Amino acid sequence: MRTDAWLAALAGELQRHGVGADLTGHVVAEAAAHLADSGDPPLAAFGPPEMYAAAVADSVAGPAPAAPGRTVGPVRLAARGITKRYRRRTVLADVDLTVRAGEVAAVIGQNGSGKSTLLRICAGLARPDRGTVHVAGRLGYCPQDGGMSEFLTPDEHFVLVGAGRGLSRTAARRYGRRDAAALDWAPKPGVQARHLSGGTRQKLNLTLARLGDPDVLLLDEPYQGFDRGSYLDFWHQVFRWRDGGAAIVVVTHLLNQLDRVDTVLDLTRSEAAA
Amino acid sequence: MTRTLVVAEMALREMARRRVVLIILLLLPLAFYLSRHGDHLGQSIRFVCLGLGWALSTAALFAGSAARTVEPRLRLSGYADRHLIAGRLAALWALGVLLSAPYFLLVRLDQHDVRYGAIAAIMALTVVVSASFGLALSAVLPRELEGTLVLLAVVGLQMMVDPAHTSARVLPFWFSRELATYAVDHTGTGYLDRGLLHGALTAVLLTVLVAVAARARRGRRTHLTFVPLR
Repeated sequence: MRTDAWLAALAGELQRHGVGADLTGHVVAEAAAHLADSGDPPLAAFGPPEMYAAAVADSVAGPAPAAPGRTVGPVRLAARGITKRYRRRTVLADVDLTVRAGEVAAVIGQNGSGKSTLLRICAGLARPDRGTVHVAGRLGYCPQDGGMSEFLTPDEHFVLVGAGRGLSRTAARRYGRRDAAALDWAPKPGVQARHLSGGTRQKLNLTLARLGDPDVLLLDEPYQGFDRGSYLDFWHQVFRWRDGGAAIVVVTHLLNQLDRVDTVLDLTRSEAAA
Repeated sequence: MTRTLVVAEMALREMARRRVVLIILLLLPLAFYLSRHGDHLGQSIRFVCLGLGWALSTAALFAGSAARTVEPRLRLSGYADRHLIAGRLAALWALGVLLSAPYFLLVRLDQHDVRYGAIAAIMALTVVVSASFGLALSAVLPRELEGTLVLLAVVGLQMMVDPAHTSARVLPFWFSRELATYAVDHTGTGYLDRGLLHGALTAVLLTVLVAVAARARRGRRTHLTFVPLR
């Protein structure tokens, strides 16, 4: 790997780890100076950029916390007393969830604890046996899988979903490509969804959910198939959308981001009570 | 209107990319036509129309089934049932016209002393009815295999049941038999009227069934209230 490519990759990885721009510039400059002085190839001197970036990020205490004094807005999603049974099995028992503009809520729980069911109920794709959901504003939903046409390209998906949101073709493509780029993905023209890798399909899935800047975003384990870098990109985007005023619900079973979210809804208890 | 056109465009793009399927769809009516070419003059015409109906219904069935995964997302994005149904129907009609045109030309060149206008009417009605029939099957039956079996049974019955029998009228392509008789045997307009009425009614009923099934599948979501912000 050439030195300038390695340095660029290092800068990208540091940003993914939430290292600030100043410190990123400093670390990259230090590494560049060392490589120039030593004449060593970067992989021999520092190893792969993602590993070196991870080590640097760990040494500076991980990702930056949310901005202090951040204010949240009005309630965007209010689910009250949601109860859902499948035959005799109670999946959700009297579950409440409130998410305000500028908040991220994580829904956690074991397999089968009703996480996806709760999101489908909030999206209006499933009906609860009891309870109500109020949504203020536009809703974006990213299912665990599916939600796309196998024979259409990403750009065509952007146009199709964008037309529903009232976007022109140009605007839909522009917004779609912008959000795809934020996930470190540049859709190749002419490649149909069925030919995308699992992780890239999920990026498309997520990008489609975001199209039209919805006020409420429901994400059902959208990072499945992501590599580590994409996973970090995803969480960075989630917090960026939150800071932009979106109310976000993320179903997750990966707990290492929970200290950064605003609300955690654990459905394990609800399942156990059943 | 924009939403309907975009759905139609994307549905056409999807179908156009299934090239092997398109080739099979194009050749299926030809096989029907050639299988009865040596028989009575009208038989090959009746069979080619039935073949077109079968091919287009199958295309509609698979298009409807393939759309199931993306439709919840499209509804959440702002599409109504009418956009989705009208868009898919428009795409299937366009495909049907493209598939039928060569066969109309074939009949025009190969068959003489028949009423070509009536044959064009059979093909046009077949396109319209097939699109709604295939979409209705995909809306009512959740899996493609089930829909395909029903389609197979219907087309099989269409070939075997005596068209003069009252029960034959419940079959969706009964009109083609009536219109073909008018076109080939130069009968009175009774056959024409019955055929046109049956085809039009069948198309309307099947389209209504598509809409009702879509609504039923979506179900009532009384628990959810949306408050628009912009």
